[in-house]
Amino acid sequence: MAYKDLRTHLQTLADQGQLVRVTEAVLPEPDIGAAACAVNKLGEKAPALLFENIKGYTNARIAMNVHGSWCNHAISMDMPRDTPLKEQFLQFVRRYETYPGKVEERATAPWEEVVIEDDINLFDILPLFRLNHGDGGFYIDKAAIVTRDITDWDDPETQNVGMYRLQVKGKNRIGLQPVPAHDIAIHLRKAEELGEDLPIAICIGNDPLISTVAAMPILYNQSEYEMAGALAEEPYPVTTARHTGLQVPWGSEFILEGRILSRVREGEGPFGEFTGHYSGARRMPVVEITKVSHRRNPIYEHLYLGMPWTEIDYLMGINTCAPLQVQLKQAFPEVQAVNALYTHGLVVIVSTKVRFGGFAKGVGMRVLTTPHGLGYAKVVIVVDENIDPFNLPQVMWALSTKFNPQYDLVTVPGLSVLPLDPGSDPAGMTHKLIIDTTTPVAPETHGHYSQELSDPVSTDVWVEKLRQLMPKA
Amino acid sequence: MTKKIICPRCESEHTDILTQSPVPGVWEVYHCEECFFAWRSTEPDFITDPAKYNPEFKLTREQLDQSGIMPAVPPLAKR
Amino acid sequence: MAYQDLRTYLEALDAEGQLIHITEAVLPEPDISAAACAITKFGDKTPALLFENIKGYTNARIAMNVHGSWCNHALMLGMPKDTPLREQFFEFVRRYQTYPGKVEERDSAPWEEVVIEDDINLFDILPLFRLNHGDAGFYIDKAAIVSRDITDWDNPATQNVGMYRLQVKGKNRIGIQPASAHDIALHLKKAEELGEDLPIAICIGNDPLINTVAAMPILYNQSEYAMAGALAQEAYPVITAKHTGLQVPWGSEIVLEGKILSRVREGEGPFGEFTGHYSGARRMPVIEITKVSHRRNPLYEHLYLGQPWTEVDYFIGINTSAPLHVQLKEAFPEVQAVNAMYTHGLVVIVSTKVRYGGFAKGVGMRVLTTPHGLGYAKVVIVVDETIDPFNLPQVMWALSTKFNPQYDLVTIPGLSILPLDPASDPAGMSPKLIIDATTPQAPEKHGHYSQELRDPVSTEAWVEKLRELMPKA
Repeated sequence: MAYKDLRTHLQTLADQGQLVRVTEAVLPEPDIGAAACAVNKLGEKAPALLFENIKGYTNARIAMNVHGSWCNHAISMDMPRDTPLKEQFLQFVRRYETYPGKVEERATAPWEEVVIEDDINLFDILPLFRLNHGDGGFYIDKAAIVTRDITDWDDPETQNVGMYRLQVKGKNRIGLQPVPAHDIAIHLRKAEELGEDLPIAICIGNDPLISTVAAMPILYNQSEYEMAGALAEEPYPVTTARHTGLQVPWGSEFILEGRILSRVREGEGPFGEFTGHYSGARRMPVVEITKVSHRRNPIYEHLYLGMPWTEIDYLMGINTCAPLQVQLKQAFPEVQAVNALYTHGLVVIVSTKVRFGGFAKGVGMRVLTTPHGLGYAKVVIVVDENIDPFNLPQVMWALSTKFNPQYDLVTVPGLSVLPLDPGSDPAGMTHKLIIDTTTPVAPETHGHYSQELSDPVSTDVWVEKLRQLMPKA
Repeated sequence: MTKKIICPRCESEHTDILTQSPVPGVWEVYHCEECFFAWRSTEPDFITDPAKYNPEFKLTREQLDQSGIMPAVPPLAKR
Repeated sequence: MAYQDLRTYLEALDAEGQLIHITEAVLPEPDISAAACAITKFGDKTPALLFENIKGYTNARIAMNVHGSWCNHALMLGMPKDTPLREQFFEFVRRYQTYPGKVEERDSAPWEEVVIEDDINLFDILPLFRLNHGDAGFYIDKAAIVSRDITDWDNPATQNVGMYRLQVKGKNRIGIQPASAHDIALHLKKAEELGEDLPIAICIGNDPLINTVAAMPILYNQSEYAMAGALAQEAYPVITAKHTGLQVPWGSEIVLEGKILSRVREGEGPFGEFTGHYSGARRMPVIEITKVSHRRNPLYEHLYLGQPWTEVDYFIGINTSAPLHVQLKEAFPEVQAVNAMYTHGLVVIVSTKVRYGGFAKGVGMRVLTTPHGLGYAKVVIVVDETIDPFNLPQVMWALSTKFNPQYDLVTIPGLSILPLDPASDPAGMSPKLIIDATTPQAPEKHGHYSQELRDPVSTEAWVEKLRELMPKA
């Protein structure tokens, strides 16, 4: 059973020893950012954090690091908490391929309990805080943001749920970063061409799967709710928010409704981004909030980003890999697994069978030409099918013994990359690399690979035998 | 010897029983005087049977005689 | 206190839950290697294996995977078994730099209990077995092998302890692979120039440190025993083996003495090597054994090698990294840590402060020109001081955001490399790569790196606070 709201998910995390409640009184800054940064230093099984006593607020609660470990990710997928990464990935891909899942429209939702339409002050409602010292202000960085194409309002395919950073600039005024390549920017352009505002719903404190989907590079006409239904393997519950008419998650803690002001741009940033660097400041659109709804005693959820690895790297890890895997397999069924965990896929590791000499470089070039790869995928490492691309020491072995730069290194000059890549020069342009660390097959003949070691016969039997003999922890 | 033992690797007949298990009758170890291959009677048949031995690892005396020398034998020093 | 022999070390492993006794009757092939391969599938905390019932032998025992996990490596150093890899590395480096340690010459040793000089049959004495299916025969692959320069016999600085593979070819006849670059090849060359045999002692079943040192690239005139004393932080006990006059470990289980026959070469190999590939066959020197000494009820120790990661990768990980680290720091005090764990340093990751633009590439070139780097170090990745080179996800982050192939990639054609590198073409030749994944410093100025994310203030205090709050396992 999937988790239909943040509360039940936090309860499950607590039951499995994956939630730490922080009951001491903490200052919004620097305590919450520092604690969320600190928890990732405790290893890759780090728990979520729930702050229950925030100075200056009467009963605010802040959840951090909800997605911040592979254990938490496994639990969000309803899998045993110690499920190996590659198995989580393969299960994610399997469910992804059942798209579209079912969506269940419900008439009422818990977030309708409290409604505020007058004198909105977001600082009273949300325990906002500065995450990193260089941030331009108080950001909302883990909201599922819903918009539609106003020129085609009744076509549900145009509805988009995405995660974009939001700088709270006034009591009901928010700066928004709609990256040009993302769906919301298409909606905004169409509205602004007509001089109209764009209705928007900002949903905060969500079940873990919709956050995963909102941060996932799926296609324009795919529905995030149907994807959440596919990943949950059961109907995903939504409710129509009456003020804007947009569908939002039934289980959200907070719903902010309003509109992006047409043709307005205003200073925004910097904000510490998933690249481990600040974004710089630019002029960006502005949202005005006109209605707030929330559950009683709501839980505010926030995402920590810092120098990797932090929560963001777990949140947009497997959901970056899965679409690439499916798209590559359409062209090359030989592809076994894709690891695009590193900085949203700036480094991509693909394991594949090799059909003929040079094939692996073809797979690498294909990665560079996928929709996501066009703007990311700066270094593509291709490994043999018997290498687990999620096992980096194995990948290092492939690099150490299968790679000869004379034959296996391709540099492609002057390609596009997201401008947030601090290595790009000018911003948005970079050279890219394909590193072929597969074993050469005919007609490619360099090196001497005919005698690779393999597991002795009966190794499988001994794995089971030793499992019984292993000392109990 | 009652039957000829063929080297699984180079298929030479110049083989011999190298040793027998300290516990009598459990296994024998054979070796090849041509290619220096050694094998035990209880190993899987893809090791002991010349017909089933992995072709990637077949090796003849001629190939061995042409293989590299490591390290090279130095010239004798003048006394 | 360090372990002076294999027995006390195995007892310590047992007490820490790091030893599995296998009491069922096993065949020498394929059971022992299949089990030793299987144990590596359980992660990086695996126990050692002790086979106590080997078919065909009356009371033989075989120890496998003794060095095969970071837990076992930590215990070898007398550190808690869950000590992080990085801490083990720095402790190893610290002790390494106290070289020379003390050596204690003793009068008698346990391995003198049983002596065999007539009708030697190594197959009766040692429970020999084929490790990997493609191996040419029964190898001894974890012996400390002692030799001296016979033209300078009384100079202890010429004595060498190394680990070279040994193919047992007859009852008292052994093939040896003395790689040309190694010290033993120098001794052999001098003896063969005179047409003389080279005395040799082969020590099997040792305390864990001398094996670590024997497999470590130290300098020609450095003493392995004085290095073991430094790493042990106490006097290392040795004894002179009377038959050859060579110093050997006091704690060995089995000591074979004999001579390398002058000017003889004979077919040897293939053997499955640390590269994860077989070595092929070559003509190599031959040893004749003339005396065997061993403890009563001796333990035979063997090393498993397979497709990484297996025991050999733990065994030649930190001891490859430490000398490189010390040698680099002599030139560049800015160097923070060196990870050369991948296939004996075919891939090397260096973390360093960057003194000025281009500095990191200088560090990379220096790696390529160290004694070990000349024959290994095919891919050198240089990262900032803030990156832990042992933390591969962090290294991937550096590669993803700090690296622009237009500026940061250096390919050097036609360098020397060990012929065992299966990618080298022709064998022994390869281009090499330097990947500069550090942040550009003045006067280098491409990219936009001025705003890197740092941990919020008080993060360290929160690490300690959260450690206390973590759910107990």
